[in-house]
Amino acid sequence: MPIQGLEILQSSASLRGQPSALRQAPFLSKYIDTSTCIGCKACEVACQEWNDLPSVPTQQIGTYQTLPSLHAQYWNLIRFDETEVDGNFTWLLRKEQCMHCADPGCLKACPAPGAIVQYTNGIVDVNAEQCIGCRLCETGCPFNVPRFSEKTGKMSKCTLCVDRTTRGLEPACVKSCPTGCLHFGTKEDMVALGNQRVEQLKASGFANAGLYDPPGVGGTNVVTVLKYADKPELYGLPVNPTVPGTVRFSKAPLRWIGLVAFGATILGLVGHYLRYGPRTGRRPESPTPPERKP
Amino acid sequence: MTSPRSVSAEFTGDPAIEAASTREDIVVGGQLVRFRWSTRALHWSVALTFVLALLTGLPIWTPIFGWLAYLFGGLQVVRWLHPWIGIVFSALILLQFIDWARAMRMTPADRRFVRLRNFLSYMRWELHDEEVGKFNGGQKLLFWLSALATLGLLLTGVVLWFPELFSEALRQASWLLHDITFILFTLLIIGHVYLGIVEPGTFTGMIKGTVSRDWAKLNHPAWYREVTAAESGAREEAKRTR
Repeated sequence: MPIQGLEILQSSASLRGQPSALRQAPFLSKYIDTSTCIGCKACEVACQEWNDLPSVPTQQIGTYQTLPSLHAQYWNLIRFDETEVDGNFTWLLRKEQCMHCADPGCLKACPAPGAIVQYTNGIVDVNAEQCIGCRLCETGCPFNVPRFSEKTGKMSKCTLCVDRTTRGLEPACVKSCPTGCLHFGTKEDMVALGNQRVEQLKASGFANAGLYDPPGVGGTNVVTVLKYADKPELYGLPVNPTVPGTVRFSKAPLRWIGLVAFGATILGLVGHYLRYGPRTGRRPESPTPPERKP
Repeated sequence: MTSPRSVSAEFTGDPAIEAASTREDIVVGGQLVRFRWSTRALHWSVALTFVLALLTGLPIWTPIFGWLAYLFGGLQVVRWLHPWIGIVFSALILLQFIDWARAMRMTPADRRFVRLRNFLSYMRWELHDEEVGKFNGGQKLLFWLSALATLGLLLTGVVLWFPELFSEALRQASWLLHDITFILFTLLIIGHVYLGIVEPGTFTGMIKGTVSRDWAKLNHPAWYREVTAAESGAREEAKRTR
C-alpha cells in the first residue's frame, strides 16, 4: 500500500519518471554488520510480528537457516553459510532481504503502472492493489528477492518497514537486534558507520573487509559490512549486480523500435494504397478477356 | 408479400457457396470453390485468437497501450487472460498447420516469388507468374513463419508464465525473444491483412469460400488450370457419354 505523505521518486510503467517529487528527502538506509551478527533470528521474528505475516513451516536444510530462501510471507532471512576462506573454516551469517536499490530492477521490469514505487526516501515498495502478479520483477531483480504469493496472486517483499520509518521509527528488525549489528538512518550516516567498522575489521586482521554497496544498481539502501568483501558470493551476494541488460533492452530500445516499426508499416501501407491502389484489372498476360462481371 | 418457400429459394441461391460448405478446389458455375467451411472457420478462429492475444499482450508490453486493458476489464484480467488465449491460439495454429502443411510445400516457383526483387515487383502489382498455384510463395512463407513464431511465442510464454521452473538466464532470454517474436509476427500479420483486403475478391474468398474465374486466373493461374482441367475433363466425359 503506498504510504500517504510520502512522495514518489520513481513509479513502474509510468511515462513520467518522477510523478510527485517536489520536496527533497535524504535516502534512508539500513546498516547490517555481518561480523557482529550472532544468528539469533530476533530480526526474523520481529519482521513476522510487525508485518503480521503468517508463519511459514521451517525446513531443515542441514544448517540453522529457517528456510532455504526468502518466501512471500518471510521477508527477512538469516543465511548460515559454512565455508573455507584461505584454508580456514568460517561460519558466515548474513541478513537476506530486499536491498532497496537506488536503481531498482524490479521497478524497471514491472509492466503495471504504479505497482512498484520508489519513494523519495529511497524505499522501494510494492503496491499490491496495482500488482498484476506477472512475476516479471523476479527476472528484473539481480538479488532474487521478490516473491510471488500463491495466496494473493501478488508479489511481496521487505518494505523497509515503511509504515514505521515514515513515522520516525526504525524498522522492526533493527529495533529487535540485541548485538547492535543493525542500524538505521540516512544513507550518508550508515555509509560512514560502515566505513568506520570496516577500518576496525581491517585493523583486526580482516584485510579484505569492506562495505557492500554495489554501484551497478546505483548503490543499495541496505549497506552490508562484509569481512570478505572481495568474495561477496560467499554470502550469497552477486559480485557486480546490475539490472539485466536484456530487461533494459526489452524495456527501452526494443519498445520504441517496435512502436516505430508498427507505425511506419501502417503508414507505409496507406502510402502504398494511395500509390498503387487496389490490385485489380491489370492482367496484361491474361490470354482471354473477362468472361463476366459480377 | 413473398411466401416462405420463395424466401428460402432466394437464400439457397448460390450453388457455389452451398458447395463450399464441404468441398474445395472445384468449379461451380462461374465460381471456383477455394476454401471449404472448416478451413475458413479455422482461419478465422486463428485470426480472432491472434487479435485477442495481441490486444491482451500490448497493455503488458507498454503502458502506451494500457487503455486496451480496459476492453477486457483491466490489467489484472488481461494478465490472467493472455496466457490462456495464447494456449488456444497455439492449438488452433497447430490444427491449421495440419490442414495446410501439405499444400504449403515450397515449389521452385514459390522460391522465385519470394526473392526480394520479385516480391517488390509483386507489390507494384507488376509480377505475374503462370506457375503460381493455390498459394503463392509469400503466403507459403507466411505460413511457415507463423508456425515458427507461434512455437517461439508458446515456448517463451510458458517460461514467462511459470518462472519458478526455469533459470534466470532462460527467463531473461525468453522475455527478450517473446518481445522480438511478437513484434516481427505482428508486422507480418499487418502485411497479410493488407494484402487480404487490398484486392477485391481475396477477402470474400476467405469469407464465402468462393472466388471468381478472373480472380483465380490473375492470382493463382496454376491452381486455376488445375481446377478447371477437372471441369473440362468432366465436360468432355459428359459429351462422350451423351
